[in-house]
Amino acid sequence: MDLLLDAVVIGVLLGCFYGAVSIGLSVSFGLLDVPHVAHPAFLVLASYGVYIINEHYGIDPLVAGLLITPLFFVLGLVAYRLYYETFEKRGTDAGVRGIAFFFGVAFIIEVLIIMQFGVDQRSVTATYIGKSWRIADMRIPYRMLVAFAVAAALTIVLTLYLSRTFMGRAIRAVAQDQEALRLMGVNPIKVKQWAFGIATAVLGIAGALLIIVAPVEPTLDRAYIGRTFCVVVMAGLGSMSGTIVAAIILGVAESIVLTSFGASWAPAISFAMLLGVLAVRPQGLFGRRS
Amino acid sequence: MALSLVISGLDAGYGAVKALRGVSLNVRGGETVALLGTNGNGKSTLMKCIAGLVRPQQGSISLDIDGTTHDLARLSAEDIVDLGVAMVPEGRRLFPRLTVLENLMLGAFRKAARRNIDENLKLAFATFPVLKERQSQLAGTMSGGQQQMLAIARALMSSPRLLLVDEPSVGLSPLLVSQTITKIGELNQKLGLTVLMAEQNFNQAIRIASRGYIIVHGEIVVAAKSVDELKGNDIVKRLYLGGAA
Repeated sequence: MDLLLDAVVIGVLLGCFYGAVSIGLSVSFGLLDVPHVAHPAFLVLASYGVYIINEHYGIDPLVAGLLITPLFFVLGLVAYRLYYETFEKRGTDAGVRGIAFFFGVAFIIEVLIIMQFGVDQRSVTATYIGKSWRIADMRIPYRMLVAFAVAAALTIVLTLYLSRTFMGRAIRAVAQDQEALRLMGVNPIKVKQWAFGIATAVLGIAGALLIIVAPVEPTLDRAYIGRTFCVVVMAGLGSMSGTIVAAIILGVAESIVLTSFGASWAPAISFAMLLGVLAVRPQGLFGRRS
Repeated sequence: MALSLVISGLDAGYGAVKALRGVSLNVRGGETVALLGTNGNGKSTLMKCIAGLVRPQQGSISLDIDGTTHDLARLSAEDIVDLGVAMVPEGRRLFPRLTVLENLMLGAFRKAARRNIDENLKLAFATFPVLKERQSQLAGTMSGGQQQMLAIARALMSSPRLLLVDEPSVGLSPLLVSQTITKIGELNQKLGLTVLMAEQNFNQAIRIASRGYIIVHGEIVVAAKSVDELKGNDIVKRLYLGGAA
């Protein structure tokens, strides 16, 4: 029983972490319909950015993550423009080719990281890494609490941005009716580009969490393709609070399977849940019906 | 307020298909002009050309505001909204998963429109009180008539001078059609909005229009100076009034 409680608590915290690394995809794939399979590669790239700043200047990884967000915002603007000009503008089978495009981008990022840093694992140092909080009989690592707090903050900030600002409302509207948006004097392509920039900027902070929670290696993105897409699809495309709830469900499921069947089963969970959701409730738990 | 819209020799189409051929039409400030025609004759294409959503292949669309002339055929949809042209599109085209208030706020996206957002919101709610009661409801869950009201109110949020209304009667019951048309008439009477309305319901449209055009296969076949002239026209009798001409 204690073991189960332990697994659930750790699972919730792990889920919040998954939520933080998935929430950008909830914008780019969930709202904009861009098949962004390079999302986890951008995430790992951000971790290496945080690693460099932490290693050279001794700056706290979360602060380092904040520092690289403007850079990632610009990276997102450029990536979307490239995708739009080469694929989306031509319509019809943009979806399938888009996946190929982003897979290519992901591999390029992996290779660049390997060339620069090699295949060894890298980690960061901070006061909250490596220590635990003891409560009752449980030990909760501080780094997981940090992930929890950051995930909560990201969700709240993004939800407010999408509902309270003119640009945020336009981002939600662009997924629903682009031509109607043009009638309001809004250029839908500019809105999508901006939204993709935001989704990528968020990865600066998410990348910091990734390397805070565990050391990273260049091909780590592959483990997160299944997880991030599972979370976004399960949430129902485009719901921010839904993303966190879905991520917590995944986190708890992984954590329980890990304690009862062993670690080797954990990676299968996300794909199994992804398939299950697509079969039973394709619009997601909180999703839109198209 | 000096405003006039003069369209001359307009050709537009999609690929090889010509939707409009040599269309000429004008609307003076303060008028309500009806653009009549059955489905597929080019009414919506003409409206989209004025709003900047479809680029005409030939011809000009001149909007004269206080002595300054703008060629809408060369401007982007964004610039056209800034000039005070707003469109209520066919089929309403609301954002169904946004609330009523969020839909209205999107109508005021342009910087120039944001300055008057409080006044315009008050005006929209005064014109359509039901929208105020339902401002936090999702637009997609409202009835057809309410959605049409929201679509009109959303267009008002950009402080338009010229309102383009495309097929307001589509998908509404006869009673609601009548109410909607009456509302559009009120906007013209009370707010002094200039209105160009594309409509296939002849009898409803002429209740509020001062004159009208009839478009058939992409060409203007009748340009009537008054409603009486429209009623007396042979083509109208044949198309709408069931009489053998």
